[in-house]
Amino acid sequence: MGRLFWKIFLAFWLALVAAAVSTGTIVWLQHGAADAAPKDFAAGPRGGMDMAAAMLRDDGVEALRGWMQHRRHPAPIYVVDEAGRDVLGRAVPAAALARAREIVRRRGEGFRARSVVGPGGERYLLFAPQPPGMRLPPRPLLEPWQLIAIGLVTSLVFSATLAWYLARPIRSLRSAFDGVAAGRLETRVSPKIGSRRDEIADLGRDFDRMAGQLQSLIDAQRRLLHDVSHELRSPLARLHAAIGLARQDPRKLEPSFERIEREAARLDELVGEVLTLARLEGGTAPGPQETVDLADLVANIAADARFEAEAAGRKVSLKSAEQVPVRGRAELLHRAVENVVRNAVKHSFPGTTVEIRLAAAGERALLSVTDRGPGIAPGEAERIFEPFYRGAAAPGGFGLGLAIAQGAIAAHGGSISAANAEGGGLCVQIELPLAKGAQARA
Amino acid sequence: MSAQVLLADDDVELGAMLKEYLEREGFGVTVVHDGEAAARAALSGSHQIVVLDVMMPKLDGVEALRRIRESSRVPVIMLTARGDDVDRIVGLELGADDYVPKPCTPRELAARLRAILRRTQPASHPTSSAGPLEVGALVLWPEKRKAQSRGHELELTSIEFNILEVLMRNAGRLVSKSEISEQALGRPLARFDRSIDVHMSSIRQKLGDAAKLIRTVRGLGYHLAKE
Repeated sequence: MGRLFWKIFLAFWLALVAAAVSTGTIVWLQHGAADAAPKDFAAGPRGGMDMAAAMLRDDGVEALRGWMQHRRHPAPIYVVDEAGRDVLGRAVPAAALARAREIVRRRGEGFRARSVVGPGGERYLLFAPQPPGMRLPPRPLLEPWQLIAIGLVTSLVFSATLAWYLARPIRSLRSAFDGVAAGRLETRVSPKIGSRRDEIADLGRDFDRMAGQLQSLIDAQRRLLHDVSHELRSPLARLHAAIGLARQDPRKLEPSFERIEREAARLDELVGEVLTLARLEGGTAPGPQETVDLADLVANIAADARFEAEAAGRKVSLKSAEQVPVRGRAELLHRAVENVVRNAVKHSFPGTTVEIRLAAAGERALLSVTDRGPGIAPGEAERIFEPFYRGAAAPGGFGLGLAIAQGAIAAHGGSISAANAEGGGLCVQIELPLAKGAQARA
Repeated sequence: MSAQVLLADDDVELGAMLKEYLEREGFGVTVVHDGEAAARAALSGSHQIVVLDVMMPKLDGVEALRRIRESSRVPVIMLTARGDDVDRIVGLELGADDYVPKPCTPRELAARLRAILRRTQPASHPTSSAGPLEVGALVLWPEKRKAQSRGHELELTSIEFNILEVLMRNAGRLVSKSEISEQALGRPLARFDRSIDVHMSSIRQKLGDAAKLIRTVRGLGYHLAKE
């Protein structure tokens, strides 16, 4: 039981007790006033009894008889002599008589029955049997202390239940936070909350969403680190092998040096790409924001790619709008488009043409790069943008180009997707928001 | 005749370089680039030793090892990522004889190949005592590379056989783990190296009730009771 439990419990319990005490006090005060009232009222039977008793005592039984016969709407008062006969000759209900005798014996003079001695020394018993329908207030079922005890226990149980109900989900939340802080990112609170629907349950569900997000982020980072270390190993192993060969046979020094240089360059390239990717994912992309003409940028990349592609027996064609201004970082955009185009050239079959199309439609710039290569297997469309994912037929490279392209396009508020093109090959489509205020020209 | 090495690594360039290096060191080398080809070639029986990279397409090194061990006791060295203990332990448990962390220098690899080959080939194992070693219910013929427990043939891998031989030669005496490593694996014991323990636990499994002859002296080594 935490502090919160005790705080809620005590506060609620004290409130209950205070409410009970004040209500009790008010009721008691009002009851006292109500108690006082019937005393005046009681003039009915009680007044009659007093009068009858005084008359009998002072004036004798005959006077009483006369008075009683003239009473209007009398509450019945029986006057019984020692033989048990009523002075008016009425039939006396035996049970009421016995009770009256009992009352007199116990309490002497009472409100409902009394013994009176007449002027002649004869003893009478006066009593008013209880009228049907009117009862003495029933004896309370429980004593006051029992009532108080029951109230206390009930309020304790009720407060404890409420406090527990409020404090428990907070405690599970807390233990979940502890779990995440200790690195157990798979911790979830939903199973403990169950079907509860209130703000605390919402908080729990928010927590689960946060933990899930964290978990997938950390998993991605871990995978990336694992992949990076694996990728670093291959060039390092080749470096070792090249050095070993050079040591073994000094005649191989020159080719080994070349290899070592090549591997060092690969390592450099890999580290650079990993850094770029890490910066993109961390949202700290380099370079200033400026208005970039995508048409210009794509034309430059196409020209470079054409030069390389033609050496390998492939062609590059470009259909472009005249001006497609977007807002962003020129260097990053250049890299993204270049990676996509190079990828297309690399995968296209010899003798085919890579088609690049750039257009502006509405608020968006649309760029598509289509190659005539083997395309991708179903289900690969998402995965080719994952870091270090390499298709079955991919020669060389680290598998970072498209991942960087995706990161860069996403950083500019755009989207990138891939699908097999009609007639074979892969079509990568890039959408970017056009710069506001600037005019695109077809 | 030079020892035939089967090298399985998916890095084509590295494979070619290592082949060139090892051939100059006097080995015969066959290079394959995926696990399936590795298992097939290893089971053909024409290689004295197999080097398996753990990360390979089609069938990874661990799976290839599992397939090889189903029917062959050819010595296997695993190339495991440096710092990846899980692959290492799993490999040893599946019956790999030793591992080399990758990236390694080719010199290191050649030295390890020689060490394992020297200790696993019956011909290159000149023994001082011609007769079999006997300890309790265990009998071991060093030159035939055969061992029995209560008359039952033991299916030991080469390194397991070496370790048992070391223990039996030193029966009644505490043998430290580094001694075992030097004599059975031909290399000094590395820090935090659990390979001897893994080999030992698989030897114990194969020995059955004779395993209680071997006592672990925590932190020091192992002791094979004379009787």
